[in-house]
Amino acid sequence: MSSGKQALQRQTQQDWENRADVEVITSSIKKIADFLNSFDMSCRFKLAELNEKLTGLERSIEYLEAKVSKGGTLN
Amino acid sequence: MSEKVTLSDALSNVDVLDELSIPDQQPCIEAQTINIDYQANFDTNFEDRNAFVTGMAKYIEEATVHANLNDLLVAGNTHAVMLYTWRCCSRAIPQPKSNEQPNRVEIYEKTVEVLGPEVEKLLAFMYFQKTASEMFCGEVRRLCHQEKRKDFVSEAYLLTLGKFINMFAVLDELKNMKSSVKNDYSTYRRAAQFLKVMSDSQKLQESQNLSMFLATQNKIRDDLKRNLESIPGCDELLGDVVNICLQMFENKMFLSPGEKHMLVKVMGFGLYLIDGEQCNINRLDQKKKIRLEKIDRIFKVTTTFKETPRTDMENKDLVDLALRGLQLLSQWTSVVTELCSWKLLHPTDPHQNKECPAEAEEYERATRYNYSSEEKSGLIEVIAMIKGLQVLMARMESVFSDAIRRHLYAETQDFVQLALRDPLRKAIKNKKDMIRVIIMSVRETCADWMRGTEPADDPALKGKKDPENGFELKVPRRNVGPSSTQLYMVRTMLESLIADKSGGKRTLRKDIDERALAAIDQFHKGSFFWSYLLNFTDSLQQCCDLSQLWYREFYLEMTMGRRIQFPIDMSMPWILTDHILRTRDPSMTECVLYPLDLYNDAAHYSLTKFRKQFLYDEIEAEVNLCFDQFVHKLSEHIFGYYKSLAGNILLDRRFRQECMALGTTLPWPPAARYESLMRQRHVQLLGRSIDLSRLIGQRINADMYKSLDLALARFEAADITSIVELEHLINVNRLAHQLMQEHLGSLDPFDNMFREANHNVLAPYGRITLHVFWELNFDFLPTYCYNAATNRFVKGRELQFGQNVQRDKPPQMMPAYVWGSKALNTSYHAIMSQFNGFVGPPHFKSIVRLLGYQGIAVVMEELLKIVKTLIQGNILQFARTLMNAMPKQCKLPRYDYGSIGVLGYYRAQLTDIVQYPDAKTELFHNFREMGNTILFCLMAEQAMSQEETCDLLHAAPFQNIIPRPHIKEGERQEVKQKKLEAKYAALQIVPNIEKLGSSEQSFIAKEGDLLTRERLCCGLSIFDMILTRIRGFLDDPIWKGPAPQNGVMHVDECLEFHRLWSALQFVYCIPVGQNEFTVEQMFGEGLHWAGCTMIVLLDQTRKFEALDYCYHILRVQKVDNKDGVHKGISLQKMVERIRRFQVLNGQIFAVLNKYLKASSSEVESSSVEHVRCFQPPVHPNNAQARSGIR
Repeated sequence: MSSGKQALQRQTQQDWENRADVEVITSSIKKIADFLNSFDMSCRFKLAELNEKLTGLERSIEYLEAKVSKGGTLN
Repeated sequence: MSEKVTLSDALSNVDVLDELSIPDQQPCIEAQTINIDYQANFDTNFEDRNAFVTGMAKYIEEATVHANLNDLLVAGNTHAVMLYTWRCCSRAIPQPKSNEQPNRVEIYEKTVEVLGPEVEKLLAFMYFQKTASEMFCGEVRRLCHQEKRKDFVSEAYLLTLGKFINMFAVLDELKNMKSSVKNDYSTYRRAAQFLKVMSDSQKLQESQNLSMFLATQNKIRDDLKRNLESIPGCDELLGDVVNICLQMFENKMFLSPGEKHMLVKVMGFGLYLIDGEQCNINRLDQKKKIRLEKIDRIFKVTTTFKETPRTDMENKDLVDLALRGLQLLSQWTSVVTELCSWKLLHPTDPHQNKECPAEAEEYERATRYNYSSEEKSGLIEVIAMIKGLQVLMARMESVFSDAIRRHLYAETQDFVQLALRDPLRKAIKNKKDMIRVIIMSVRETCADWMRGTEPADDPALKGKKDPENGFELKVPRRNVGPSSTQLYMVRTMLESLIADKSGGKRTLRKDIDERALAAIDQFHKGSFFWSYLLNFTDSLQQCCDLSQLWYREFYLEMTMGRRIQFPIDMSMPWILTDHILRTRDPSMTECVLYPLDLYNDAAHYSLTKFRKQFLYDEIEAEVNLCFDQFVHKLSEHIFGYYKSLAGNILLDRRFRQECMALGTTLPWPPAARYESLMRQRHVQLLGRSIDLSRLIGQRINADMYKSLDLALARFEAADITSIVELEHLINVNRLAHQLMQEHLGSLDPFDNMFREANHNVLAPYGRITLHVFWELNFDFLPTYCYNAATNRFVKGRELQFGQNVQRDKPPQMMPAYVWGSKALNTSYHAIMSQFNGFVGPPHFKSIVRLLGYQGIAVVMEELLKIVKTLIQGNILQFARTLMNAMPKQCKLPRYDYGSIGVLGYYRAQLTDIVQYPDAKTELFHNFREMGNTILFCLMAEQAMSQEETCDLLHAAPFQNIIPRPHIKEGERQEVKQKKLEAKYAALQIVPNIEKLGSSEQSFIAKEGDLLTRERLCCGLSIFDMILTRIRGFLDDPIWKGPAPQNGVMHVDECLEFHRLWSALQFVYCIPVGQNEFTVEQMFGEGLHWAGCTMIVLLDQTRKFEALDYCYHILRVQKVDNKDGVHKGISLQKMVERIRRFQVLNGQIFAVLNKYLKASSSEVESSSVEHVRCFQPPVHPNNAQARSGIR
């Protein structure tokens, strides 16, 4: 078997190896993207909950302020 | 960042991500939501073809052509997009009206300026189609060459030619269709000619060509056909193209719906191109070159909607699963798009659909009125299936892609390194050079040898048999799939081995044995889908793309500028969304976000495929409109649903049963599934994240407020009896609120809302308190009559004092704001109307509950003021007048006179009073008002005590108050009590909080406990307080008269209030004539309550009971039992009345004394009556004598 052919075969193998490495990187990036997406969803849910609680508190404060200040204009 | 991170560290960091728990707690009912879309595309479009030096030169050359053709296809697509999304510009450009118009030149200049860039695109399009057509014809000519014809043409190549044919067909149709393109160009041409922009002849010629090109229908296909006809043998090549499409269509060798439709279009247009003067397709059919009957069948199948049977073949293999998933999605998507296209092609009309109005426009007939309710439901279901499966597949994506890469690698290497050994051995042994070269080339192209090079000792390479124990060859495993060019090369070369047709030349097939052929064939077929699987993300998206449901450029074109865009009622995504909302089918409720996702698809398409800002803007505008409507309708439905649920839960059970018995069923609302929608906190729409829960919450808050406001307004528009209805309405609202709050955290607390609606946040008294008082003052006190037998107040209708009360009308609102639904409104109206005719204990209970301590205190305080003005005003005035009319002395005549005589005596004595005109009207009315007030306070107190008792009983178990248990013989009370206490120890608040809570909490608990206990032991009474206050009002001397002359008491003198009351009692005891009303009818027992209360408070009870005129008549009559008529007064009847009123008075005194005694015994802590000792009376004669003695 000629050495040229062998070199070629080695090159082919090298190509497979390189592409496998590239795949590892891409799939890792994909994983990171997936993670970020689900992280985003989870955060949005939690932030929405927090927002809801804060809004609720704000409204309660408004309500209580109104209640406390009744007749305040008379003073 | 100077710190270095090694690759393995980085990779392990990525792996760690899996272990992080990031839960998303909302139910997943929407389509795939991605904010970061990562797609790795390794398709090189044969850019790396030169690296494949070991491949067959012919196919590398073909790859080059292929790459060029692909580039042209991409360019063709941009031109198609340009045509499809072309919107008429010339309509918007003002046209000069006459040649004299002064700004004519300016208009033309602007026209050229505006349309110039667009016309450039058209020119580019014209030149493109020319080049493409030439290139295509050149390729066809090359392939049809006599020599070349004998050679084999690869499947991929034929398919690309097919794509070309498809492109021409599409471009031509678009050009025909778009009249606005022609209009725009002619506008430009007119302006350009006027301005003489195109001065040189070349430009003029070009312009002429373009306008001819645009104006001639079917120009592209006709030119193409003419050019092709001049190529000999092209019909056979085109036949091959059509056949390959047919074969792929039949074997389902396509993935996305777009590709499927492409195959159909190529078949149709290909046949058109073949069919000509020189060649007839029917002739080809006879030569078995084309099989027309099969094609006919396809055209029938694809253009009509057909139910696709769902096979339940489930492959365990992940790759098969992934492929199957993709194919399923593709199938469903094509079903949906085909249905929609069919509907667009077959618009309905007023004859077929009764609901379709005669003036409905084209697009409306194709969409809005073109689907039956079942069709819409079906469509929604399929869309939901597509979107749902897409989410699931996308979630599994990394698993799938990993499996795909590993599997494809293993398949390729096993096939190349192991399966090809046998045919290779045969080829070497039999000296079939051609086959050997091809197989070697395939192996060189993609073999990944274990040791880096082909094992040189492989006997197959020398054409020899394997040794007895077999030749061991280990094939490596990697996580990577073949590259796009690699795959193309391998497949094409293998295809050339197994192709059964290769011009006239001998095929290679014959030199390969059956088994090897089958293996190669199987590999070739199976690997068709590999390129799709390798681009899994992209394929998945293409298979689920339903954006075509929104695009309607053709219909916009057809309106000739009458419409810039269609309203949302004609838009498919909204039609489907609205259908779900309209039908309120619980099973579809959770799908409601899927039709909205069609907008995401459409927007994605406009941004990535069409790349047109204006389309995106239009979609965005529509989404803004739709989403508002959607949220509005959805929250309306949710509110209505929960309201009617609450109304149904609280509806009287017996009422429901009785309705049922009478044949009317009151339906329960079908369980709707709004919960998951109410918990959506991040809905993705056009890249925005929407907190649906919050939006719904805001609207429901407003609805709730409106509903409470309406309840109050209804109360304010009705009399006091509707307080029961008000309480029920508020309870229904409260329950609805409670049901919704479980899923909607953003709802305000109910009590806050109620107080706000009641205007009780800033002001100390709410609307209810004010209206209750208003009603008491203007309606209840002056017009109602009390009856102790029924314990009710009923409106006196006989005599009207003052004007009728005017009230505002309640606002009319939807049933959801009242009781929940129409049926509930009717039912509750029937139930509530039972409380309308009277005021009794239920009303007082409602008043007490709604007003609370604060409101009751306010009302009573105000009522006391009324009593005060009565006692110190009108009643006092009357009393003064009447006291003057009273006889100075009025004795108790002796029994000897007989009852008639006694009656006659009193009648004569009291003539002035009896005949006093206002006594029986004004005065009694005033007493009634006062009596009603007292009764109101009494009954309010009774109702309140019941409430309190209830509270205390509820609180008892938590305060270690346990009822005495029953004791059997031999058991000891204390032991059993202790046992029970231990058993319920966990319930006791104070000790538990002391043990577990902070000192502050335990302090609060103790205070609360104390408050509850105190209420119980004190036995405070409001009524007692009321009586004491009223006693304070009786300070005028007229009530008690001057001190008695005899130093003890007045006996015959008429100076005290009880004497006046006796006179009045005499008046109302006189029986009335036939058409006259009795006092009971006119004033009720409030009258007696007022008199008796005053007597009790003035401590004149005993005197009244001893000296009353009527009682005396009764006593005398009991003895002589006479009957007779005196001055028209029937004695018997009179006595009858007196007896009744005596009983009544006795009852009233008893009640009043009970309250007064209870408090006095508290104060003085003795129940012994105070006895004053007086000197025995002295007879007047003796007195004289005494004084004489003195």
